[in-house]
Amino acid sequence: MVTAREATPTVKDQIHEFILQNLASVKGVASFSDQESLMENGVIDSLGIFRLVSFLEEAFGVRIGDEEITADNLSSVETIERLVLSKKKS
Amino acid sequence: MPYILQQLLSNSANKFSEKAAVWARGRSINYRELEECSNRLAHLLGERGIRKGDRVGLYFPKCVESVVSMFAVMKAGAVYVPLDPQAPPDRIAYIISNCGIRALITKREKLGLLDESTVASLAFCVLVDGTNESSNGTRVLPWTVLSEFTPLHPPRVSLTETDLAYILYTSGSTGRPKGVMLSHQNALTFVEWCAATFNITSEDRFSNHAPLHFDLSVFDIYNAVEAGATVFMITEDLAVFPTALASFIENQRLSVWYSVPSALTLLLLHGNLKAENIPCLRTVLFAGEVFPMKYLRQLAELLPNVELYNLYGPTETNVCTYYKVERSRLAGMDKLPIGIACENTEVFAVDERDEIVTTPGKTGELYVRGPAVTYGYWADPDKTAKMVVANRFQAHFEEKLYRTGDLVSLAEDGNYYFLGRRDSMIKSRGYRIELGEIESALLSHPAVREAVAIPVPDEIVGNRIRAVVAAHEQHSIKAAELQQYCATRIPSYMIPELIEFRETLPKTSTGKIDRVGLAQTNSRPGQAGPVTGSPQVSLSQLL
Repeated sequence: MVTAREATPTVKDQIHEFILQNLASVKGVASFSDQESLMENGVIDSLGIFRLVSFLEEAFGVRIGDEEITADNLSSVETIERLVLSKKKS
Repeated sequence: MPYILQQLLSNSANKFSEKAAVWARGRSINYRELEECSNRLAHLLGERGIRKGDRVGLYFPKCVESVVSMFAVMKAGAVYVPLDPQAPPDRIAYIISNCGIRALITKREKLGLLDESTVASLAFCVLVDGTNESSNGTRVLPWTVLSEFTPLHPPRVSLTETDLAYILYTSGSTGRPKGVMLSHQNALTFVEWCAATFNITSEDRFSNHAPLHFDLSVFDIYNAVEAGATVFMITEDLAVFPTALASFIENQRLSVWYSVPSALTLLLLHGNLKAENIPCLRTVLFAGEVFPMKYLRQLAELLPNVELYNLYGPTETNVCTYYKVERSRLAGMDKLPIGIACENTEVFAVDERDEIVTTPGKTGELYVRGPAVTYGYWADPDKTAKMVVANRFQAHFEEKLYRTGDLVSLAEDGNYYFLGRRDSMIKSRGYRIELGEIESALLSHPAVREAVAIPVPDEIVGNRIRAVVAAHEQHSIKAAELQQYCATRIPSYMIPELIEFRETLPKTSTGKIDRVGLAQTNSRPGQAGPVTGSPQVSLSQLL
């Protein structure tokens, strides 16, 4: 039986899924943890970062400025989730 | 006069021993340390059986030890092979085997990615992140073991400039990478031209943006060392974030930058670059792909005091032609030339009648002559024979030419212009079409950020044209609009029938648009522009 909680993907899940389907598979990376640096493992490169930002803006209705495109905000699924949640609050 | 690359280092170590040579990830080493550490590693390699001409792979993300390793391998008389740390392990395994790589300088994590039989084929590995505690017998050696070897002088080897210095693997059109063999003389021909042309001094601060398996890095590292300057290695944490990269250029006061155009474009569009923040930047070189004029113009305007140079040349010759941007002429140009031959290199175009082009306006395939030209491809005499050919235009002595496969035209002022690949010229409806020309048209539309034109073989018309486009903003333009726009720029038979939009175009490991990959994927259903069943219908829609 599917519970309501299982049916709704969390922000973190959605982020992870997007990266997995759209950025990682193209780089031959089959899996990664939410804490891993996506730059170090090569999943996100200088063009993929913009695909990610577009996705975040569209999927979560937030606006991410160029100056916010930084390693602190976007290096891992966890930091990305933190950025998105902080923007949704404000 | 230096005749092998390591002499550039020994010369600078004498003059600039305490000066910073290489910076990466927050660490730096000076010239004395670079010289001493590479001496030690060279002795280790020799003691473990590396002999003149042996190939040693470098397989780890860029760091100061990368440069130490490059010099060490050459000091041991051997040939270094930089391996892309982000390449799939199978590709690395193929290169190790194809090149007969005898030893690997690597990191634990990378070594762990290779399969057992590949690792077993190596005589030994040196772990940059190895420590005495982690030592694994005599086949996996930790970096710490270097302390056992003398730093005072390199091993005795009898190298000449004609010996190989490094092998760079590039993508092969048949799907397997091929190793371009480069000698000390090849490298120094390029380095010496750069030193003479760009007025480099020991006060300069170089970027190294390109990966080490891409020959742009030859300038970054060897020209910095030649002058006693400092090179700042840009690693993935910086390269991905344009604002961080722009801050880095500012904070490190970089004076010389060399990269593919797309890296500059990202900086331009998203890096928040301001000329007043980077007063030290004096020279920007770009190479590897065509720089869309609209972005180049923006860059030239944004950085009015920076000298801009377009450099052209395949890995097989490093840079063979160059063009210095003249801002006063930029507004009127729709194409940037690849320019004129570098010193100590000769280029000429050969037309379909196999004659050298001397008349302005004529086109031909670009050939390169001189000491910059590679011996050929490692263990691939067939491919070598196709591309590195005897100079049939001169009968007095044996000499090789490299045929670039690039089509160029000669202009009145003596500059060459790149037209496209010899093999990207296609026929459609009986017309000769340069895919590059279609791409220029697409790129000239303000909504378009990237574009590539791909021939789709067709039994009725020869080729149809499919374009894959990345717009600045998704959904900002439709296929039909873009086709109508193209109709104002190029003949109707060149207009792409199918236009597919993507957020971004896939790139190869060296940062160029992955045309081969795109050509192999089918256009995604539902994303193509008006798809027509027959050429007549498509043509009438556009007229």
